[in-house]
Amino acid sequence: MIVLAHGIGGVRDLPVPESFFFSTAAVVLVVSFVLLGALWKRPLLERHADGRRLPRSLEAVLLSRALRIVLGTASVGLLVLAFVSAAFGTAIELLNFAPTFVYVVFWIGLPGLSVLLGDVWRVLSPWRAIADATAWVIARSGREPRALLDPPAGSGLYPAAAALFAFVALELAYQRPADPRVLAVAIALYTYWALGGMVIYGREAWTRQGEGFAVAFSLLARIAPFAARDGELVVRWPLTGLVGRERQPGTLVFIAVMLGSTSFDGFSRTTAWQDLLANVRLDLAGESQRTIDLVLTLVNALGLAAFVGAVVLTYLAAVVWAGRLVRPGRSLVPDFVFPLVPVAFAYLVAHYFSLFVIQGQFIVTLASDPLGRGWDLFGTADFAPNLTIVSPETVWYVQVVSLTLGHVAGLTVAHDRAVTLFENRSDALRSQYPMLALMVLYTVGGLWLLSRG
Amino acid sequence: MERIRLVCAICVAGLALAGCGSGDDGTPQATGTTHTETTTAAETTGETESTPTPEPRVTVRIVVRDGGPVGGLARPEVSRNDRVTLVVDADVAGDVHLHGYDLEGRVEPGSSARISFRATIPGRFEIELHAHPEIHVGELTVRP
Repeated sequence: MIVLAHGIGGVRDLPVPESFFFSTAAVVLVVSFVLLGALWKRPLLERHADGRRLPRSLEAVLLSRALRIVLGTASVGLLVLAFVSAAFGTAIELLNFAPTFVYVVFWIGLPGLSVLLGDVWRVLSPWRAIADATAWVIARSGREPRALLDPPAGSGLYPAAAALFAFVALELAYQRPADPRVLAVAIALYTYWALGGMVIYGREAWTRQGEGFAVAFSLLARIAPFAARDGELVVRWPLTGLVGRERQPGTLVFIAVMLGSTSFDGFSRTTAWQDLLANVRLDLAGESQRTIDLVLTLVNALGLAAFVGAVVLTYLAAVVWAGRLVRPGRSLVPDFVFPLVPVAFAYLVAHYFSLFVIQGQFIVTLASDPLGRGWDLFGTADFAPNLTIVSPETVWYVQVVSLTLGHVAGLTVAHDRAVTLFENRSDALRSQYPMLALMVLYTVGGLWLLSRG
Repeated sequence: MERIRLVCAICVAGLALAGCGSGDDGTPQATGTTHTETTTAAETTGETESTPTPEPRVTVRIVVRDGGPVGGLARPEVSRNDRVTLVVDADVAGDVHLHGYDLEGRVEPGSSARISFRATIPGRFEIELHAHPEIHVGELTVRP
């Protein structure tokens, strides 16, 4: 986070040392070329994408209505608790439940859970739970719950990308992202967005196209070894959910928001960006706090948008280059978008792992006293978080290992796509040179950002 | 202006003395306003807690003038377990806040904020001056 003042994200990572940077970058390059030469000749992931069905008894429990009601109620309860804490609790960020819950438990925890267990947000989303319950009540009264409109043709994931961009702009560009009152407004606005969209365009359509978190978590869940399909639960090879090409316009832009925001978060901590902001502050000496905040937020938002744009442009450049090499007769743009998903997750882990394990501990205390009123609901109010629970060395290893694994996973998915697309092995290989260059750029670039002081 | 120049001169002189004051990994101190010095254990500044083998005492001085730290954002570095005294001198009144450690000290024109602590948590920590308007002072690095 740039400024999560008063403690939220107060312990920041030290830059990855140069030795780590160079050795990891070298490993990444070598691994890439070995992979390129040694990989399978025929699609492997696609063959395993179906997976095996889980035992019926397990399915019966996990897909049961009772579990759905319990989880839905709990998640609606947490949404209400986050909103009430943000709106009426203490204004001190570290002593209020909402900032740590939203930025740490939710925004870092849910991506992790989705990658491990699949698209759990479908049953954990409080907005979906409210909408489902409402639809159930309408159906009980004998009417049919129906959407008012169809989503505009070609809108694809653009509404979801706009929603996610708004959230990351609040987190990374706005000057007081963890201010509880600001968060209360944000939670309310997003609730209108999510529920309003479901009323207008239907629950299913809006979950797939407009609810930014649902789209982000379902994309990440494609990495997971579990999936729910047509009322069945399957266990499958990890990454197999990423085979095939994207079918929704705006997928590239959406993933670029995920990837670009995390990399901007890294860039915004560099001395270059910090100095720039300090100079802007000096230029505005004498102006009101409001003006200064506004200008700094705009400067940050421009930086954020530039990073998102850079992801889109570098991807398009790589795909156009690949098209020149193999002349496929159509655009390859939709074909290599999904390989960016593991890279986006790796960035998330590399940037937020330490925040999750350090700041995440505060939720234990905050759960007992969410409003900061001196309560002790669960007897955990005195729990003392251990701020040295992970050493800087551990953080560095997690960072370089996650980026490297994300890189390998991305290349693997891209390679599988290439051998599916091109029967001619040399075409498949040639189409992969630009993708390899792109992945190396993202991985080494991500590492470089982590190594900047 | 005369006063700023004087303060800078003192800081730069201090920097020359500080040179190798903060540990043995040879990372040079870069900013003109950040002044790191190791004082002898006899000079009692900072915490009074006594330990058998006293860790190095490090004083970090930062001067804030005209809405910003003199010489640009301060980027002092200390080593883990150093006994650090952060001294912030400013031409405005406000609270100096060291993130992560979550320590605060009051500063007024003519009266510096002094924040003393043992640097037990490695990492990077923002230093802010909560005044009107807020001032980003810099960030403290605690090496592992």
